[in-house]
Parts: sequence; C-alpha cells; structure tokens
Amino acid sequence: MKNKSQIFLDQTISRRFFFLSFLKSVVVGVIGWRLFDLQMIENQKYKKLSDDNQFNYHIIAPERGRILDRKMRLLAGNMDGFSLVLNWNKTLDVDLILEKILSIININQKDIKNFYFQIKSYKNDYPKQILITNNLSQNDVSKLAVRSTHFPEISFSMSKKRVYPQGSIVGHITGYTGMFSKIDVQNGKVISIPGLNIGKRGLEKFFDIDLRGEFGRKRNEVTSKGHIIVSQIYEESKPGKDLQVSLDMSLQAYAIKRLEQGNYNLTSIEKKSIKSQILKQKQVTYVDKKYIYTNKKNKIVDPQSGSIIVMDIHNGEILCSVSSPGFNPNIFSNDLDIEDWNELKNNPKAPFLNRSMSGVYPPGSTIKMAVALAGLESGIIDYKTSFFCTGNKEFGTSNFHCWSKNGHGKLSLIEAIEQSCDVYFYELGLKIGIDRIAIMLKKLGLGEYYNIEIDDRTKGVVPNLEWKLKRDGIKWTVGETLNASIGQGYILSTPIQLVTMVARIANGKFSIEPSLIIQKNKKKFKDLNINHAHLNFIKKSMEKVVTGKKGTARKYKIGVPNIEMAGKTGTVQVVRISELEREKGLLKNEDRPWKKRDHALFVGYAPVKKPKYAISVVVEHGGSGSSTAAPIARDVFKNLLKV
Amino acid sequence: MNYRKNKFHQETFFSIIISKLLKINWIIVCCVILLCLIGVAFLYSAAGGEWGPWAKSHLYKSVFGIFLMLFIALLPPKLFYKVSVASFLLGLLSLLFVKFFGVGNIQRWISIGGFNIQPSEPMKLVLILMLAKYFENISKIQLNKIFAYILPIICICLPGFIVMSQPDLGTGLTIILLGMAILFYVGISLKVVFFFLLTLISFVPIIWQQLYEYQKDRILVFLNPQTDALGSGYQIIQSKIAIGSGGLFGKGYLLGSQSRLNYLPEKHTDFIFTLIAEEMGFLGSISIIFIFCVLITSIMRITFHVDSLFSKIIVFGVGCLIFLYLTLNIGMVCGLLPVVGAPLPLISHGGTSLITVLIGVGLVLSINVHNKRI
Repeated sequence: MKNKSQIFLDQTISRRFFFLSFLKSVVVGVIGWRLFDLQMIENQKYKKLSDDNQFNYHIIAPERGRILDRKMRLLAGNMDGFSLVLNWNKTLDVDLILEKILSIININQKDIKNFYFQIKSYKNDYPKQILITNNLSQNDVSKLAVRSTHFPEISFSMSKKRVYPQGSIVGHITGYTGMFSKIDVQNGKVISIPGLNIGKRGLEKFFDIDLRGEFGRKRNEVTSKGHIIVSQIYEESKPGKDLQVSLDMSLQAYAIKRLEQGNYNLTSIEKKSIKSQILKQKQVTYVDKKYIYTNKKNKIVDPQSGSIIVMDIHNGEILCSVSSPGFNPNIFSNDLDIEDWNELKNNPKAPFLNRSMSGVYPPGSTIKMAVALAGLESGIIDYKTSFFCTGNKEFGTSNFHCWSKNGHGKLSLIEAIEQSCDVYFYELGLKIGIDRIAIMLKKLGLGEYYNIEIDDRTKGVVPNLEWKLKRDGIKWTVGETLNASIGQGYILSTPIQLVTMVARIANGKFSIEPSLIIQKNKKKFKDLNINHAHLNFIKKSMEKVVTGKKGTARKYKIGVPNIEMAGKTGTVQVVRISELEREKGLLKNEDRPWKKRDHALFVGYAPVKKPKYAISVVVEHGGSGSSTAAPIARDVFKNLLKV
Repeated sequence: MNYRKNKFHQETFFSIIISKLLKINWIIVCCVILLCLIGVAFLYSAAGGEWGPWAKSHLYKSVFGIFLMLFIALLPPKLFYKVSVASFLLGLLSLLFVKFFGVGNIQRWISIGGFNIQPSEPMKLVLILMLAKYFENISKIQLNKIFAYILPIICICLPGFIVMSQPDLGTGLTIILLGMAILFYVGISLKVVFFFLLTLISFVPIIWQQLYEYQKDRILVFLNPQTDALGSGYQIIQSKIAIGSGGLFGKGYLLGSQSRLNYLPEKHTDFIFTLIAEEMGFLGSISIIFIFCVLITSIMRITFHVDSLFSKIIVFGVGCLIFLYLTLNIGMVCGLLPVVGAPLPLISHGGTSLITVLIGVGLVLSINVHNKRI
C-alpha cells in the first residue's frame, strides 16, 4: 500500500517529469530549427564561404602577343622568367621565411618592399599566393630548389618577361610595358593582379587589350594551413594576338645609324687625340663600342638628334620611323634602376620624346610647295608668274631676308622652288594671304593627328586669321604672313605631318594617312582634290631641287636615272637674327652653340618616274637642309631602293 | 531473483540469463549500437577515409562497451544500490587526485594501465547513483523539508566546482545541471529552486573571476563571434560554415571539404556533429537527433514502469545525462551555446565518455530487466 506522502510524491514526480519533458522538447525544437536555418535557409551563404575556404582562385596571365615587323622579324617578344611565390596564410612568420630566403639568394629591395606592401594590403584571412620576385635567375631557382624541404611555403612559377630584341632602334614605336598604376585600376583598364604588366607607351599601350589576351583562372584546393592539394585549370587563358607592324627593321636600323652620324666622321677610339678627349669628357656616346663621332675639327660630338620617317605613298604604311636619341625599352622589363630612369628623364635631349610623331618643328622651306599649290589652285598665280629677288624684301618697318644675301634675280615659280628663294615666296604669300595657305596646308595634312596607332602625338600649328585672334586676341599682321610663307613664325609641324604632306603630293590622287600597321585590306582614302596639272608642275619643281643646276640638293643625287629622288630642303632658323648681327656677318652654323643652330630638314619622294616612297628627315640643329638632311635622305633611299 | 538463493530451483544459470536477455529493451540497445556505428563511420571519414587513428579504436571501445553494458544489464540493481556511496566517494577522490596529481597542464586525466581515464565523466554517473540512494532513503518523510536538500546540493556542487576548476567548464556544468534536474525531478520545492538559482546568479561574478582567460574568451566570443574571427571565434565560424554548407543532402560521405582540408577544429571529438552535418546535410543531422530522441524517450518511458524512487532517479538521470550531452554539444557546434567542450555521446571519439554512457544505459537496462522494488 502506498501511503499519502508516497502518492503525493508520485504526483509531483510525474508533474515535474512532464514539465521537464516539455522543456526538453522545446530545446530539441530550437536545435532542430537552428539546423534548418543553417542548412536550408542560409545554405547558399555558407556554401559560398565553404568554397572560399576550399578553393583559391588564381588568375593566370595570358602570354602577351608579339610585335613583328613587315618581314616577321621580332620587335617585342616574351622570354621565360622565373618567379618566386609565397603560399601565404595567416600562420606564417613572413619575416623569418624571407630572412631564410635572403640568406641563399639576393632579392632586390624594390621587390621586397613590394612584397610587404602586398601582404599589408591583403585584408582577407584566406590563404593566398603572394609574389616575392619575378627576377629569379636559373641559378637562384636551383639554389632554392635543392633546399625545397626547408621552404614548404614557397613555390616557383614560370613567368614571361617582355623582351625587345631590337633594343633602342624601335623603342619609341614599340614602347614598353610596366606595372599598372592605381589609376589604371580605377579606370577599369586592368584587374589588379600582382605581376601583371600593361602597355605603357607606343604600340604596347595602343594595342594593349589585343596584345594582352584573355585571362584564365587556376583553381587550387587548399587546406587550412595553406597547402595546395589539387591545382587545376579552371578557365583557359587565351594568348594575346600577334601584331604585325609595317616597319622594316633593316631600313630602320640603317636609318637610325645614318641619322645619328649626319655629316660627322666615324673615328676609332684607339686614336691618340680621341683617347685624351675621352678622358676629359664626362659623357661619351660610343658607336658599336669601338667608334665615336667627331666633327671636322676632330672633336668628339654627340650623335645627331632628329627623326626620319619613310612612308609608302600608296597605302600610308610607315616603313621606318626613327627618332634619335632613343631609349632601350628592355630597361623596363628588368627592374628599372632609379638612377637610370632619372638620367633618361632629365636628359636635355629628351630621349623619351618620339620626335617622329610628337616633335614639333617649324617646317621651313619644306612647305613652299604647299604655298605654291595654294597660289595655283586659287588661280592667283600661274606657272609663269615671276618675281625679282634682291636678297631682301622691305615690308613696313621690317626687312625680310632671303637666304641668299645677294638675291636670286628674276625667278619663275619652278626656279623659286628649285633654289628655295625666300623673297619669291614673300611676294607670293602677300598675294594669296594666310587663309588660303592654311587651307592648302591642312589639305596636305598639316595640323592634323591622323588615326596613327600611337598615343603620344602632337597636332602642330597651322595658323590663320581666326587662330591668331582666338589665341592672342590680336589681329594677324601681314608681316606674319610673310614669315608663314617660308614656314617660319607660328607654323609648327611634326615629321609625320611633313612626310604625309609629301606623300599626298607624290600620290596626287588620295589624301594618304599614315599607319604603322600592315594594311591587310586596301584602305580607302579620301580624294585629295587638287588639280593634277598643278601637282605635276610642283612635282617637276621638286625634281629640279635635286636634278636642276641650281637645285638646293643638287649635290646629293642618287645618280641612277630612273630612280632619282625628288624633294625639298628646309633650313629652319631657331633664333631670331637681328639686323646688327646680319651686318656683322653671320656666324657659321657650326660655330654657334648647339641650341642656336638651325634645324636641317628634307622632305622628298622616290623614285621620280613612279613615286613609291616618301621621306622626311629632320636633323635637330643640324645645320642646313641641303648639306645635312638631303644626303641622309639620299642614303636612306639608296638603302631602301637597293641602288 | 538471485540464482544463488534458488539453488534448487529448476531454472538453470543459462535459462535465467536468457530470460533476462529477453526482457532487455532492445530498442534502446539498437539505438546505442546504431549510434556507435555512426560514430565509427564518421570517425573513419574524419581521418580522411582511414581506420586509424580514431575509427578503429572507437570500434573496439564500442564493442567492449556494449558487452559491458549488456553485462551490467544482467546485474541486479541492488548491487548498484550497495556500491553507490562507495563509488561516489571513489569518484570524488579520483577527481581530487587528478586535481593535484593530474597529467599535463590541464588536469583532467588519470592514467591507469596505459588507459587515460577522465574521472569527470564517470562522476556524472556516480552522482546519479548517490542522489538516487539518498532520495530513496529519505523519500518517505522529509522530502518537503528544505534541509533534506543540503547534502544533495553539496554532493552536486563539490564535484561540479572541482571539475570546473580543472578546468572543464562543459563537464562541470553538465554535472551541476544534471544534479539540478534530479533535484527538480524528485520534487524540490520551487522556493528552493529559486533560492538556488539566485545564489548561482550571485556567484556568477565570482565564478567569472575564477575562469581561465580562454574560457572567458570563449564566452565573450560566443556573444559575438566576429570580434575574434581568427582566434577563439575561428572554431565556431568554421563550424557554422561546415554545417551550413551541407544543405539538404550534404556534400556526400568522405567529401566534406571543411573537414578534409582541416578547417574544422576537433572534428573527431567535440565537433564530430559538424562533420556529419556537412557530409550528410540536414537530413543526416536531423536523423541523428531523431535517433537520440528515440533513445532518450525509450529510457524516460521506463520511469513509469518502475516503482522505487531509486530506480526512477537512475533512469531519469541517465536519460537526462544523454540529453544534456546532446544539447550542449549540438548547441555548441551550431553556435547556440558557447564553446564549452562537450562530446557527442556514443559518436565522439573519447573512451571515457563512451564507456560512461554505455554503463549508464546498462544501469537503465538492468533496472528495466529487474523491474521490482528494492
């Protein structure tokens, strides 16, 4: 028999039991709900987190496309390089590992700095590969590889290094690649991948997207300690497209050498007088390590600076575009030394300036054909119009001089171009006015950018009445027209514009535009819209410049009848010469300081019978167009036409 | 029932054993075996598809433990009644022993004949026995008087605080919660419950002072895991990622990336449930909980079929013990509770807790078989 308290106890126990059971069911329910919430409702979120844990994606940079010349010679290619990569995770003692590595191989400070920067800027905790350096030599690789057991955290990867086998010959055209900047990332041009190089200048920049190719992705399965278990290609990378440019490297190489030599002599450094000079001078530019340029007085001189462009007058392809002094783009592929960089940057001759595309010069007498064409087209003059040159022309209060002190006498148009008489063109300019000249200059391609495949180019200046008013708020004066008619004063042009001008004259039908890329499809150009008879007359006068008895370039004939060249010289005054100086007698060009010497220009085309190529030569402070620029043009044509 | 007393009874030794075996609640035994096998399977997975080092030893220990459980099931409950006080004192002594002569920094283990035993685990069991015996004796007269609870509370708190100071917060808490559940079950007056809770709350700052830095960290991190995503919060974040990424069907057996790539901490002991949830998904984890619920309910049902308070308390206590293990463990791995360290019974690798639970179930089975007042 159960007593009272026993019954009471039993009741209490079962009440309490049910209460506890209820409590337990609630707890189990909460846990069940929690699991449902985690696994069913928030599943996607956690799945992603789990994938982030499990996989580690690496972007594979594609191989950059090559740049080739018209005969498939390599201008820019890729060389195998080795990179050292740290498989980073939060538990690693980075300093210790780096110290251990540095005791075996050398890594330059810049890379180390960059490496620490990457670690600092990495905010995640997930393991990641971080580039230490990509300048490993084969030797370094083997040194580290034999000790690989000491360095489980590091790995090697093959990387591609950009090389420019032609060196400084085409540095301005190919440009170079380099690390992207923060601004590039902000502009959405690149994704931020350590070690990725993008085009910084020249063709590398212009065709960066095409050359770069498409990125691939590699998927690594990583443990919590950062060890890679499986690594597989997730998305294939697509290599960049090769780019074939219209340049001809053999001509290019010849042209740069010919330009730099100018009228100087090539002297061996073994010579005694030269040796002593080398010791005295701070900086000497050697040619092929054994020679040196000297002037007529046997003094060591710097190579000539300037530009040569050769263009096909039918399709606008540029066969040669040199700019001196140049730079070697390979210095950017290997780690650029700050000192080297500063030296290049602060060099007064501006080696980075691509003179062919963005160097601006007054065109001088080289635009006299255009002025003549402007006169003929407007009907103000005809072939027979003649003026008398006394050596100068007084206009208002000033006196405008011809280059020939004693004057040319009575000249017809063809003779005026042949002898490059300035007074004739003063008179002509007065008659036709600046606006007509400007229209013709623009028609022939001055003051224009073109669609040329290079970013750094300059427009130059083709002045007219409106331009002056807009710029200075002052009216154009007639005296300025006189200056403009001989290509001085406000008027400025780039060598590429000058060669385009000649190409258009020589072509006669189309307004040719220059291009650096091989034209696979025949390009359609706009009609030039200039009277053929007038053009033929102008061409004849340009022939006379070389073949005529008084032609300014008569000394520099090619000498083969059917493939003679035609052209026009130009000597551009850089500083104003005062009347006083003139009376004292002009200093010879060579005796003036370099910066004050005249620019020497020549534009032309060849062969005369069936024009094919146009050329422009600019030798900065090189003296006169006829003595310095014309022989260079002749030699380049000779090389090009194989005569 | 004791066969020695019935020497001339026609029942033989074996027929008694067989009749006892037939009376065993086989649902409970099946659940236990099933859970042990699940444990073996996922310890195999935790080792990356290898028998060593956990799956094999778990299998051996399970087999041993299950036979031990069945053996205990055949023993008369009177025996447990007799040894309860002695075993409690022995348990207490061994706790003090590890406290002062324990192995390693964290004084939890006692080494006997090559086996490392964690005395805090069997402590739970002997506490149940102790309380059962006490209330069996005291039941009829004094249960509604407060001073009757003073001794039990000492019996609960003394081992509880010793274990907490080992430091093993999880097990210590389990002991205290278990004791409280039993006190509540036998009908402690609600006034006392409130008084007890109040004292406990007032002791919180003192206990907090006593806690080790890492224990404080764990509790703080539980309140906001993102504060220390790399340190103490790492475990729970990775654990939640593993559970959550399992989805409905899981990633497949042996295919759990979180565990395979070592993102899961302690995946063979306290966090084994995470592994199961990752590989088997929501269905798998719910099934595990379901099996446990079946086991616990089957055990709890027995309390209605036994008369003595001693038996009731033991059955209830063991059921509660399994329930506490389960909820503390799962609550911890899915981020509902701080990481206090509680194994998943029968599945986690760790011999002491496995054997403890199996012995406990053995006691329950024995009571069920010898369903008679003591």
